[in-house]
Amino acid sequence: MSEVASTTWRMLAQRTGGRELPRGLDAAWDAAAGMAQRLLPRTARFLRRADVVLDHEEHFATMTAAKLRAAGEEFHDIFRLGRNTSEDLLRAFAMIREVAARQIGLKAYRVQVAGALALHAGCIVEMATGEGKTLAATMPATVAGWCGKGCHVITVNDYLAKRDAEEMGQIYRFCGLKVDYIDQETPPPKRREAYHANITYCTNKEVTADYLRDRLAMGRLRGLSSSLLAHIADGNQSGTDRVVQRGLNYAIIDEADSVLVDEGVTPLIISGQAPNAEQVQAFQQAAGIAGQMLGDVHYRVNHKYREVNLTKAGKTFAAELTSQLGGIWAGQRRTEELIVQALTAREMFLLDKQYVIQDDKVVIVDDFTGRLMPDREWRDGLHQAVSAKENVEVQPPKDTYARMSFQRFFRMYRRLSGMTGTAVEASGEFWQFYHTPVVVVPTNKPCIRKQLPSRVYATQAAKWRAVIDEISRTHERGQPLLVGTRSVRDSEKISVMLTELGLEHVVLNAVRHAEEAQIVAQAGQPGRITVATNMAGRGTDIKLGRGVADLGGLYVLATDRQESGRIDRQLAGRAGRMGDPGMACRFVSLEDDLPKRYAIKMARFLRKRHRGGDETPRDIAGPLTRRLFNRAQRRAEHTAFKQRRAVLRTDHWLDEYLGFAGIER
Amino acid sequence: MTVPIDRPTFSESWYRVASLRPRLRSAVQVFRQHFRGQMWHVLQDPGANQFFRLNDTGYHFVGLLDGRRTVAEVWNVCNEQLGDAAPTQGEAIALLGQLYTSNLLQADIPPDAQGLFRRYRQRVGREVRGYLTNLLFIRIPLIDPDRFLDRWVGVFGKIFSAVSLICWLALMSTGAYFLLGRTDELGNQAMDILRTANLPLLAVSFWIVKIIHEFGHGFACKKFGLQAGGGEVHTMGIMFLIFMPLPYVDASSAWAFRSKWHRVVVGGAGMFCELAIAAVAAIVWANVRQPMVQALAYNCMFIASVTTLLFNGNPLLRYDGYYILSDILEIPNFAQRSKSYLYYLVKRYIWAVRNPKNPANISGEKAWFVFYGIASTIYRLFILIVILMFLSDRLPDELKFIATTVAVVSGTVWLCTPIFKFVKYLAISGELARVRNRAVTSTLLTVTSIILAVGVLPMPDRVRAVGVVEPLGLTVVYSRTDGYVANFLPSGTNVATGSVLINAVPRTGDPRQSDLFIDSLNSELTAKRQILKAEYDRINKQGDWALAETEHAIVALRGKEAKAKKEQINRLENDIRNLTIRSPTNGVWISPDVDRLKGNFLQTGQQIGLVANRNPENLIVRAVAPQEIGALLYELQNRKNHTIPLEIRIKGRPGQAFSGKIDKILDSAQDVLPSAALGYAVGGPIVTRPDDRQGLMTAEGFFEIHITPQTDNAGASGSEVMLLPGQRVVVRFDMPKKPLVAQWWRSLLQLIQKKQ
Repeated sequence: MSEVASTTWRMLAQRTGGRELPRGLDAAWDAAAGMAQRLLPRTARFLRRADVVLDHEEHFATMTAAKLRAAGEEFHDIFRLGRNTSEDLLRAFAMIREVAARQIGLKAYRVQVAGALALHAGCIVEMATGEGKTLAATMPATVAGWCGKGCHVITVNDYLAKRDAEEMGQIYRFCGLKVDYIDQETPPPKRREAYHANITYCTNKEVTADYLRDRLAMGRLRGLSSSLLAHIADGNQSGTDRVVQRGLNYAIIDEADSVLVDEGVTPLIISGQAPNAEQVQAFQQAAGIAGQMLGDVHYRVNHKYREVNLTKAGKTFAAELTSQLGGIWAGQRRTEELIVQALTAREMFLLDKQYVIQDDKVVIVDDFTGRLMPDREWRDGLHQAVSAKENVEVQPPKDTYARMSFQRFFRMYRRLSGMTGTAVEASGEFWQFYHTPVVVVPTNKPCIRKQLPSRVYATQAAKWRAVIDEISRTHERGQPLLVGTRSVRDSEKISVMLTELGLEHVVLNAVRHAEEAQIVAQAGQPGRITVATNMAGRGTDIKLGRGVADLGGLYVLATDRQESGRIDRQLAGRAGRMGDPGMACRFVSLEDDLPKRYAIKMARFLRKRHRGGDETPRDIAGPLTRRLFNRAQRRAEHTAFKQRRAVLRTDHWLDEYLGFAGIER
Repeated sequence: MTVPIDRPTFSESWYRVASLRPRLRSAVQVFRQHFRGQMWHVLQDPGANQFFRLNDTGYHFVGLLDGRRTVAEVWNVCNEQLGDAAPTQGEAIALLGQLYTSNLLQADIPPDAQGLFRRYRQRVGREVRGYLTNLLFIRIPLIDPDRFLDRWVGVFGKIFSAVSLICWLALMSTGAYFLLGRTDELGNQAMDILRTANLPLLAVSFWIVKIIHEFGHGFACKKFGLQAGGGEVHTMGIMFLIFMPLPYVDASSAWAFRSKWHRVVVGGAGMFCELAIAAVAAIVWANVRQPMVQALAYNCMFIASVTTLLFNGNPLLRYDGYYILSDILEIPNFAQRSKSYLYYLVKRYIWAVRNPKNPANISGEKAWFVFYGIASTIYRLFILIVILMFLSDRLPDELKFIATTVAVVSGTVWLCTPIFKFVKYLAISGELARVRNRAVTSTLLTVTSIILAVGVLPMPDRVRAVGVVEPLGLTVVYSRTDGYVANFLPSGTNVATGSVLINAVPRTGDPRQSDLFIDSLNSELTAKRQILKAEYDRINKQGDWALAETEHAIVALRGKEAKAKKEQINRLENDIRNLTIRSPTNGVWISPDVDRLKGNFLQTGQQIGLVANRNPENLIVRAVAPQEIGALLYELQNRKNHTIPLEIRIKGRPGQAFSGKIDKILDSAQDVLPSAALGYAVGGPIVTRPDDRQGLMTAEGFFEIHITPQTDNAGASGSEVMLLPGQRVVVRFDMPKKPLVAQWWRSLLQLIQKKQ
């Protein structure tokens, strides 16, 4: 019998699916526990322990490099054998801190150490952007590396994975650990090697995709026992040699809110081509028929629920047009489904808002980040319907082989921790779904960013005019500006208006991450105008140019309220990092998506009250408008939360009911 | 982003099942059934006795799964063959999932053993919870009668055949023939059936009858199972129906029978057997004179006919009658679907939910659903209330807590749980997402209007009290001595003062019977007097004063003796005079029972009747009101310028009402009834003390209300019915209008007080 690496066994023994969400009284108890745990003075405790770590500084600072290395080896043994005490942990942190100072010249502050301790304890740590989260992560990652069961440091993009692995690698290597990273281009054998390193830097997409591919490779084996049986029975490796991961032990997630919450229910899908010429033709025919239909006569659009409904006349119309077509069009249900899909594509999906055309292909624009998602597709033929509408080549729908949401995937880790700039707002969700408490670590230097009151306008036109006015006024002062928009379309709009005024600016939509980060990093130079979608270049430091601090620092101008207060705060957090001065202001209108979708009646009422006066944009901010936007945002957050919870419950339901289909891959 | 289609063709979870090759487990049996012209397939797992009903398209899909084809292949085939009717991917997944969780499906990979155990635990947990929440109907399985039934089905199975049906009909007619001639006896004995002495016998009869009933189901199920396959009967045990142990048998495998008539016969087998027993018992009862046997036969007859038809045969309860009805109507799962159809109507027409799921497949079902859903709900409530009243009435005080427990538990299960579920449904159900406002508003409106109607709107409030009619100027006639009634004046005769009402005679053999006795007494007395005189004279003559001391005492003694004799004579003469009872006044002699008195013994002090003025205007109604009502009336009466409207009706003649006016109310210290006719002892509503033989002392104090009836009204209506002294009446008082809730609350308080 051939040998199988123990790491593979661990992968096979990996539990599939996290703890089931409690229900009924259990849920109430759990929620109460979640409330109660928030009252624990965790931050103070971690800061106290951080002080202890700092007290050890001298001990290690005086060591020679060789001695320090020997100390590292000693720690390695202690942690590998599991003989560590809590005192060992603090000493080890002090040692790693010293190593980092010597190897890359960065010495963790007290708050960073406190954050690192919280990460080790399995918390979600809120640290303001620019406070050195990357460095903080090295301490728990090293300790986890010493323990020997692997540690995944999850970053938001390939560029950051590579950069962090390389920059921080020296620390790990000094401590006797192997570090590696995975990006899109990494070939499978290299991946296996990378996952078997002590510390692996990777993106959430890659790690989830690899997990799914491993599951596919292992076939329908149901955990360790069946795999062992199969192994004995077949005598061969039965697919286990193609497994690249080695079990999900510990993960440190950067931008945890984005990965676990915002993108939580986004499924990662492994799919393959399934050519189907008839279907492709049907989508084109449907687009043709939809083009002949009239709004309000043949169909009605419901903006609140984002859907299109056929009227009776529409149904007859469709039946007449398709009566001769046959094939897929034979059935009434399928016919209506295709046509409604085509109509939805036409009415609800707008070019440059939900998608862009690139290389003759429809590419999805992420709602939250404004980023392009070339490897993602709308499901159930919607993507094809949009392609047919745009008259680009229609690819047949792909066959799904495996799929998993990030939410579900990360719940499988034995230990989970994360860091982000904004977490408190979602602390309830973190507790409910992942059982991770949120710890807020104070900034090293107090934040002196000025949050200007929101400016509210009755119409979008007024808002845009006001935005342009504000931009030119700020620009005249020489103060750098970062204009955040919600969609590619909006940033194009601003760009056009700025060009008309002859203002030089940079627009940032959907380019490669490395450049994106560089452009954003430059946004602090004097007189610079950067127009970017929400999350462009997240995680990149914006350093202020010379003299900018005297002008008031970076001015972040948000042109919209997001569907979550967290994301608003993130954008504003771009300004005034690390004690720099900064300003942030939001420009909103009653015609924005948020009030339109979540507080339509109140918005309509206010619009009526503030009618007219479009020539000179009038700020109508007041207690009522504040309430309107806060309420709409709260509703949006709640709706999103309920959706995510429903997805999780559906997952469990499916597991229960599809037990005969094996575990989810 | 999803597309709003009622049945979206694709499902994102399809990949999980698409390449599987599942099939039904080999042990699963499939039976075809027709319901209202539609074909259904019943899948049965004989091991677990679980059923699963599939419609034609569903079975088309499942039937094609043979362990070689993949789910995706089968789905494509279905789509080609069935078009729009084919299951969508989502429906196919749900179907497979349900089959799997019912342990009917096996796939090409090992099943999730952990999941199997988890489901088993969940099922057991659900059952236990079911027991706990349904205290009134607890089932405890005990034995597996399958082998026993198999052994004997050859013999007893013959009961369910055409020949035996004819025999059965003949038996029924014979039984009926014997009963018809003895209807009055039948009625008389019905009174005794719940007597304490009869209860053990009743329990024995009950068990005999019900065991035969259950075996009737068992054998019928076996017999048709032999013909059509299936028909296993694996569970028999005890069911506690309202804490009363009863046998039960689980013949649910009959659901798989293809012929609906077979199912109907299995459902009716129990009643069929019981009615046969009833007929036999009727014949025995009519022809055997031995009291013990007769009593047993009577009990059997009563149970096997009345309780069977009332409970088992009643389709509104979930017993045999329900299943028979559901099979005859060809509406499986009748009760549950009725309920969901009512919900569907609300969702569709009141809340305007988009595309709610309609549980009615065929139009003919709808009317049945509406009718049954409403009727059974009302009936269930009614039965619950009756059971609670029965329990609180019949249980001894120490066991009253059982009634309270049952009330609380069933209140929770039948009232609070549905309300909680409903509120939850209103608050978070996804189905209502778009119409939540409308649903909540309409529900609130309904609830508010009910609360308004019940809790705020004043409704006529009426209380009732029983009473007797009495003449105003009446003199009660008592017997003054013991004696036998020899002659009497008929009740209702006009009499003058001194008229003889009753002539009595002393007891035969009584020495006082003849005048001679008095004569002899008289002569004794004379003798005594003479002796006394002689002695007296002698003493006076002697003048011996020393001696006189003693002599004097003797004389005194003699004098006393003589005096006693004299008194005895006087008494006797008085007794004899009193044997003739005379009217003390002018008026009408009223003694309703006087004709029964002839030849009867009259005790001294016994009330015989009364003499009253016949003038109807001088009648009075003495009504007896319990504390709670009396206090209310008392308070009202004392208010200034307030007369309580009231209405008097004679018991047994409710057609005629008299008006009247409250004269006075005697407050609560009363505890002697104006007439024994009102007391519990002779069938009246007022509880009397068990130790009081006369039945006049009440268990608790009451208010006595004197009412002057206004008889001219009665005359105006031209009715011949008149208020007569001695009649029992019901007086209805119209209280000021009050919301229903307040009225109900008062009734509840009264009930509780009464039960304490």
